[in-house]
Amino acid sequence: MNVDIQKLKNILLSCEKPARYVGGEYGAPALKESGFLFCLCFPDLYEVGTSNLGIKIVAESVNARGYTADFCYAPYRDFGAALKAAGIPLYSLGLKKPLAEFDMLGFSLQFELCYTNVLYMLDLAGIPLLRKDREGGKYPLIALGGPCAVNPEPLADFADIVFVGDGEETDALVGEAYVRCGGANEKFYDEISRIDGVYLPSRTAVNYSPDGKITSFGGTTRVKKAIVKNLDGAVFPEKICVPNCESVHDRAVIEVMRGCYRGCRFCQAGFIYRPVRARSVQTLTRQACALIKNTGYGEVSLNSLSTGDYPHLKELLKSLKAQLPGDVTLALPSLRADSFEGDFTQDARRISLTFAPEAGTQRLRDAINKDITEEEILKAAESAFDAGYSAVKLYFMLGLPTETDEDIAGINDICAKIKGLYNKQKRAKPLRISVSCATFIPKPFTPFQWEKQCGEEEITRKLDVLKRTLKVKGVTLSWSDNFAAKLEAVFARGDRKLSKVLCRAYENGCIFDGWDKEFNRAGWQKAFDETGVRPDEYTREWDENEILPWDIIDVGVDKKFFAEERKRAYGGKVTGSCLQSCKGCGLQKVCPAAGGEK
Amino acid sequence: MIAFRYSKTDEAIYLSHLDLLRHVDRTLRRAGIKVNLSEGFHRHPKIFLNNPLPLGVGSVAEYGAADCEYGGNFAEAFNAASPAGIKCLSYVKTDKNPNFANTIEYCGYTCGGITPFCVEKFLGEKSVTITDMRGRETDIIPKIVKLEFTQSGLYFELKCGTENLRPDLFCRFLEARFGGKAVNLLKIRAFGQNVF
Repeated sequence: MNVDIQKLKNILLSCEKPARYVGGEYGAPALKESGFLFCLCFPDLYEVGTSNLGIKIVAESVNARGYTADFCYAPYRDFGAALKAAGIPLYSLGLKKPLAEFDMLGFSLQFELCYTNVLYMLDLAGIPLLRKDREGGKYPLIALGGPCAVNPEPLADFADIVFVGDGEETDALVGEAYVRCGGANEKFYDEISRIDGVYLPSRTAVNYSPDGKITSFGGTTRVKKAIVKNLDGAVFPEKICVPNCESVHDRAVIEVMRGCYRGCRFCQAGFIYRPVRARSVQTLTRQACALIKNTGYGEVSLNSLSTGDYPHLKELLKSLKAQLPGDVTLALPSLRADSFEGDFTQDARRISLTFAPEAGTQRLRDAINKDITEEEILKAAESAFDAGYSAVKLYFMLGLPTETDEDIAGINDICAKIKGLYNKQKRAKPLRISVSCATFIPKPFTPFQWEKQCGEEEITRKLDVLKRTLKVKGVTLSWSDNFAAKLEAVFARGDRKLSKVLCRAYENGCIFDGWDKEFNRAGWQKAFDETGVRPDEYTREWDENEILPWDIIDVGVDKKFFAEERKRAYGGKVTGSCLQSCKGCGLQKVCPAAGGEK
Repeated sequence: MIAFRYSKTDEAIYLSHLDLLRHVDRTLRRAGIKVNLSEGFHRHPKIFLNNPLPLGVGSVAEYGAADCEYGGNFAEAFNAASPAGIKCLSYVKTDKNPNFANTIEYCGYTCGGITPFCVEKFLGEKSVTITDMRGRETDIIPKIVKLEFTQSGLYFELKCGTENLRPDLFCRFLEARFGGKAVNLLKIRAFGQNVF
């Protein structure tokens, strides 16, 4: 039974931005109930979730098979409390159906600090959090997906199914099996366990030694991620709904490529989305034109992990400019400094440009395989200034493996050189430089997956070094919260012991942990204290021979490759782009760049 | 320039004014109606709407204008591309911006759910003070143009502009003073020199 609309109306106006909670967006498909009701749940606010392309792709593939894919986003605290007080269960936006009445809920995990929001949404839906409390088929299947699903272990006790890898087909295949098997019975689980990209946590046992380290896995011991071989022909939503209220990326998005050729050693996305697959200019132009026609957006964003590496970028820009309405602007949000050219961005308003040197010296940039020189950064900045930009944002990381104080002091040198370049000519506005520093987080499936994360004291000291050495006038410095970064590392590399911490943190009021103003440090510390789980166990350096919690997942890149890359990092050796030569990461057979799949 | 009267009903009553402006802009883009842009660094389409309607209040008497030359049936094109609840009800071509935000003097609203009371006695009061959204004390009697009970409920007209009285605040006051709960609050007409 759908939610009582009148009851809902009574609470909407007491909450901020009620448009988040009413659905009825322009372009939203008229949903009908079907043999498989799937609700894509995004554990963050509507404005964030409606910007996510992944859930739209999954929904498109499910709807295309004649099933039903609806959406739900995490309500902000005010609406969540109002729902509870009014006795209204959390519902989907399209059908206005309580989440508990769906066949499957799919949570998209974009970020480790959204995990408590998964529990928050289940709780608001009246669904028991733990899998063991949901037995008997009374509740929907709880599925997880998205990039964080490559190590789903901290959430393994809550989930029935984990989707690992590309979502173009896997979710829909599970839907087909659900209908074919007549529900979530043993036959269904047997069938879906054979699909690439489906991990069933209940069918894997994790055995620990007395000191808490993993000794072995039982049951299913290896799950391969799903890989879409033909991205150009893959399902893509050309007709999307336009959010009711402004979303964080309020524009049309085309996915130019999936994966990245570069292999920066800290970057999880650069490895888990391998192999690199690109769409054709023709397909991308068609998709962009359809999106603009169907949405009325005034901007198209060309998304990928490194759009400058798209082999046909100039041809694509030419094609888009020729075929899109004249006032539609193009955004290229992920250009590397070495691929930046002033004419790429002629469409955009010339104000601010963001570069990510990540480290202050060439030595450290080589160690992290950023594969970019200072000369390239400066050339890109000069090119941007000549194109009219008067503000530069620079992203760096603190606490990278092998980092010294000299590397930190190097950040000032880059800023000074950039400012010097700007001031070489007389310009209308003074230059604004923003330096943004994030704490390094050792992530699974990267060459740095075994690294220790710097402790809070050490990061604070490094930050002090930066503050002391950053002397260029007009530079504003911002940095991330140390404890939040630690938490992100803990849950990125976490295991099943963390489920009790998550439960306790949620009980302590921790939700929206990714939002600075909502971050509840005391609630988290209490949760660790109460459960006896030590976060430092997860941020320590791990031995390369240890069994890692995410060893159960096979993203296709060899563990040996990561270990070799780690050695090269300590040797200060750059590995370079896959476009130059194949580095033998393990995906050669399916990698177009390596001559595998064409 | 085209001046148009449009509705804001159904789920659209929860859209903020800024979001509404974005939706009107995108509707016109989807409809293929080319709107002229402003000059300057941050160019934006020249679309002008009347003053914001409070969240949760419906309307079939919103007015807007778009700086465009469109030879076809504007309402048909707009409605084929607009979100549910935002529909063009009528339109006229005009030489200059009707400036609805400044020229609409007062608006008429209907609502149900308020416990009946003696209107004459209430309007006869010398002054009735309420606290507005900014916490200021304001006398509402001079801001009420008309107030009457009809067969379907309450009909009232409230001033706009500098003497503005929000219809939702007025209803909250009536609920507190006379009882009941206002439902289906709807703006049904606007009064001013350029409305049609």
